[in-house]
Amino acid sequence: MKKYLDVIKRELEIWRKRPVYFLGSIVVMLFCTIFYLTFLGDGVPSKLPIGVVDYDNSSLTRNFIRQLNSTQLGEVIMYDDYASARKDMETGEITSICVLPEGMYADVQAQRKPEFTFYVNTLYFLGGSLAYKDILTMINLTSGAVKRQVFRMKGMSEYAIMGQLRPVDIDIHMIGNPTMNYGAYLANMMLPGVLQMVIVILVIYSLGTELKYGTSGHLLGISGGKIMPAVGGKMALYTLLFTSLGFSLMLLLYWVMGFPLKGSLALMLLDMFLLVIASEAVGIVIIGCVPVLRFALSIGALYSVMAFSLTGFTLPVDAFPAAIRGISEIFPLRHYYLFYVQNGIFGTGFAGVWKEIVHLMLFQLLPFLVLVRLKKAYIYQNYPKQ
Amino acid sequence: MKSNYIKNWFSDLWKVFTHELKTVFSDGGFLIIFFVAGLGYPLLYGYIYSNGIVEDTPVAVVDLADCSESREFIREIDATRELSVAYRCQDMTEAQELFAARKVNGIMYFPSDYGDKRAHEETAKLSIYADMSCFLYYKNLLLGSENVMLHHMNNDAITYTENLPYNRTFSYSIFFLSAVLMLIIQQVMFYGTTMLAGTAREENRSFATLPASLHGHGVSRVIFGRGLVYWLLFMAIGIYIATIVPAVIGLPQRGDYWDIMLMLVIFVLDCVVFSQFWSSFINKRETVFVLLLFISPICLFLTGFSWPSSAIPPFWKAFSWLFPSTFGCQAFINLNTAGSTIASVRPLLHAMITQLAIYYALSCVAMYVEQQVIKRNA
Repeated sequence: MKKYLDVIKRELEIWRKRPVYFLGSIVVMLFCTIFYLTFLGDGVPSKLPIGVVDYDNSSLTRNFIRQLNSTQLGEVIMYDDYASARKDMETGEITSICVLPEGMYADVQAQRKPEFTFYVNTLYFLGGSLAYKDILTMINLTSGAVKRQVFRMKGMSEYAIMGQLRPVDIDIHMIGNPTMNYGAYLANMMLPGVLQMVIVILVIYSLGTELKYGTSGHLLGISGGKIMPAVGGKMALYTLLFTSLGFSLMLLLYWVMGFPLKGSLALMLLDMFLLVIASEAVGIVIIGCVPVLRFALSIGALYSVMAFSLTGFTLPVDAFPAAIRGISEIFPLRHYYLFYVQNGIFGTGFAGVWKEIVHLMLFQLLPFLVLVRLKKAYIYQNYPKQ
Repeated sequence: MKSNYIKNWFSDLWKVFTHELKTVFSDGGFLIIFFVAGLGYPLLYGYIYSNGIVEDTPVAVVDLADCSESREFIREIDATRELSVAYRCQDMTEAQELFAARKVNGIMYFPSDYGDKRAHEETAKLSIYADMSCFLYYKNLLLGSENVMLHHMNNDAITYTENLPYNRTFSYSIFFLSAVLMLIIQQVMFYGTTMLAGTAREENRSFATLPASLHGHGVSRVIFGRGLVYWLLFMAIGIYIATIVPAVIGLPQRGDYWDIMLMLVIFVLDCVVFSQFWSSFINKRETVFVLLLFISPICLFLTGFSWPSSAIPPFWKAFSWLFPSTFGCQAFINLNTAGSTIASVRPLLHAMITQLAIYYALSCVAMYVEQQVIKRNA
């Protein structure tokens, strides 16, 4: 036990001397937290620029434009012709274009069913799909208003008119994110993602610098020639650091920010703790397999950046090719996410999350495979040095 | 005298250039980043996102009405591209269990008066519960059910045609890959150069800054000479990423080849001076990963590819101007995937050229200052 404490003392001394540990963990997390929590503003974009080309200039089209402009999502930008609007849509200046054809009002009056055309730039995904929804709603409302006049003149009751115009009323409940807050959706996964990145990189760095600067002998001396106290002591300290970072993050997200969480906060803390220790295990495995700091860091960087995509919170894992679906299992962040879904969205309690707990715990077995190799590297420095 | 100066200038440039080239190719860490990340990453991302469309999201149906109208609606839901009816449940409890077990990603609930209301030509109600763990499930539930609903509406006073050029099916791959490709060039170069600069400073090699043989003169030839190496290497990677990778992974290529080349020349130059300048602050090889790896996803968001640029807060908007990728990614999306012309991305090119000039000046200043500091310490 004393050996562990000695290793911890030595590590604290290293932290004091080299600011990179403090900068690389606390400052990075602080910056990212501020970024992801402020970048998305209120979480729902508003005033998306929608281009309108009005070839009709009638009361009907002007009314349509006013209504579209007054929706929360849209802000109308007028164009004289389609060509100039199209140029702006191509460059993403505007999300979409509505073309109101000439003679639209006259055609509506004569029941000739004019054709309204709209274009959406779906390369800018979020803006595009929201504008698409907004325009579709507005054109249906405009069309409905006209149709209602016709039905009224036929003498139909208001009930029957609504039945004709809107036979089915769809009432959609968004389970787990009732306000469709994109900020919450993103911060929920991006911030733990950044944390796992910080952990993998910093663990590799901490174990690897001992090799790079040839201080591994000194470390082993303190730990009595055993690898367990050397790595274990370091990890105890890192677990404390990252767990406190992780817990502060959880409290910030679900307590201070009040992001939706159906299950218990305690389980989220457990989830976070398991993510921390699983990511540490991955870091140890990488430096253990490749005990050259520069290569290990490159590999760790490639791995931890990959985790964001393979977690499947943007494009779901079912949409990946079969070979990739399996690979997603080797990222602790993937299991963190599944745990979060069960607890945070469905609130299924322990029964829903025990599998993910087992998965995340399995990562703890991995370091034992490489400790022998790491010990040899620490003693003999027997690895390729350029 | 004059011709001698020019001759010297070029011979120094050549020396710096060849020396840097040798350093680059004898550094294993750099080569891993260069080949694995530069060549491999775009293909890997292309493969991961090769199928960017989520189809047939499974839903559970609770049909308490059990009438011909509800059955018709369910059949039509099942026939949409977006949704597929995976389970028919007796009651909500059963559906909720399937939902929580994630066997389905949505529930559709037809109340018992659904048929009566439809028969009386009144508005009937359909409740949908969407799993928000992934926004694409929600999108499918919304689009699928709205499309079926629209089909039943008697509301055709104005007909409409929708046109989704560039990305007809809301494919996630086309959207994501178009944005990420240019970012890969910038990040690979940034991490690669800073690693090399860090190594050189660790070993106190004068080539990190000014070669000793130049006696403190010629900041610009060193920056040109070193920059040329990275520019050459990354033009190769850039051409590969901008023209070959999209063809391999099936990304649309609607742009004019030479327009994209022109954009690429400016973007890569911009990235070179960007990396040169920021590498002045790195004095240890590995610290860049520890300190700055987190910047990659942030750069991606700053391009405005996901969260619309019009909604980015002013502070972060200004912050985004620090990075070439903010303009480069958009220019590539617009040129390559939307097929616009070089004329319409001109503001982006101007922004990159301005950045280029500023970063070039800053790199010269940084090198000069570092030189003075070294001299004073010596």
